[in-house]
Amino acid sequence: MKICISSTGPNISDQVDPRFGRCQYFLIFDTETKKTEAISNQGVRQGSGAGVSAGQLVADKNVEAIITGNIGPNAFTVLGQVKVKIYAGVFDLSCEEALKKFQANDLTETSGATGPGQHEHEPE
Amino acid sequence: MKKIAITGGKGGTGKSTFAVLFANKLIKKDKKIFLVDCDIECPNLHLLIGKRIGKAQKKVYTQKPVIDKNKCQKCGLCVKNCRNNAIFMPSGKYPIILEHLCSSCGACWLTCPHEAIKTKKEEIGKIHLNKISPKLTLITGVAKPALEDTSAVVKQLKDFTLDLARKNKIDYIIYDTAAGTHCPVVVALLDNDLTYVVTEPTPLGAHDLDLILQLIKKIKIKSKIVLNQADLGKTDSTLKILKKHKIAKIDIKIPYSKKIVKHYSTGSMLNCSI
Repeated sequence: MKICISSTGPNISDQVDPRFGRCQYFLIFDTETKKTEAISNQGVRQGSGAGVSAGQLVADKNVEAIITGNIGPNAFTVLGQVKVKIYAGVFDLSCEEALKKFQANDLTETSGATGPGQHEHEPE
Repeated sequence: MKKIAITGGKGGTGKSTFAVLFANKLIKKDKKIFLVDCDIECPNLHLLIGKRIGKAQKKVYTQKPVIDKNKCQKCGLCVKNCRNNAIFMPSGKYPIILEHLCSSCGACWLTCPHEAIKTKKEEIGKIHLNKISPKLTLITGVAKPALEDTSAVVKQLKDFTLDLARKNKIDYIIYDTAAGTHCPVVVALLDNDLTYVVTEPTPLGAHDLDLILQLIKKIKIKSKIVLNQADLGKTDSTLKILKKHKIAKIDIKIPYSKKIVKHYSTGSMLNCSI
């Protein structure tokens, strides 16, 4: 089974990114091979629909579970079209810690969008 | 016929005020004017002159994509080509259009190798017209609320205005743009003879002046600077931005005036001259 974690960096020791569509990296962990694939998120700089583009990645990679902080309305809508379980509300943990919690059945499945969409605001 | 745009980046710097003052001046010179409110998300030029927006003359439509499941091969090219991420394709299923994200650019239906994307008509706004006097007509664009990209309303508002202006032998079209530097502003600024950039002597005014001047440089249009409430605040930050953009002078200075404020707040800007 493949699990997608929104991450602030490319390593499993990096913090979980609280944003799903606009996270820095997607870490895709395969429970069978125990390997992690890090994908830099192009959605960070996109004008609109970052959640849709993230959802497309999840669909294309046949991910079965998502671990993140907040999930926006666009992502939640499209993910409803694919068989994926969403575990939102994960904050202040490393991806590794979050993964352990998931495997210990310690995370709760989310039933709706947990926050508004997050449009890009470029820093000065 | 001259086409003039009034813009400024920041909201509340006096774009609409200047647009009416400028129209008043031209009317005195016996010119025929179309005053066009391009702030289609919240048009309010009519309030400044104490008039209604008038009757809707035209509905504005756009095209939205529809997947033809008989032809679609689920190749996913439409998903890749959509810059707005408005198309989602669950693995092995047909693509889904997220209409609220779609800007009707046409990339999906133009590039579909199987001609599997049809289009449907959707109303996105209206164009209103109010003939104020023999010399002045107010034309107002109104976008449907919650529309993601309103630039198509501005484009069609301008096409409608230009067509009517030619038929009526209008001397000047004045396009009053929205605040900001986003698509509806860009569309309002294109293909004009001159743009007046209205700013104010405040740090925030200077900040947004910088943004609009960057846009003007990018789209290569001719512009002049208008400093509103010129005798209030500090011009240091404004002058710094002008220097950065190699602009030597402020073309028009409007001093703070109680008379303007009074006309503004009572919807009688048409009677205001400075």
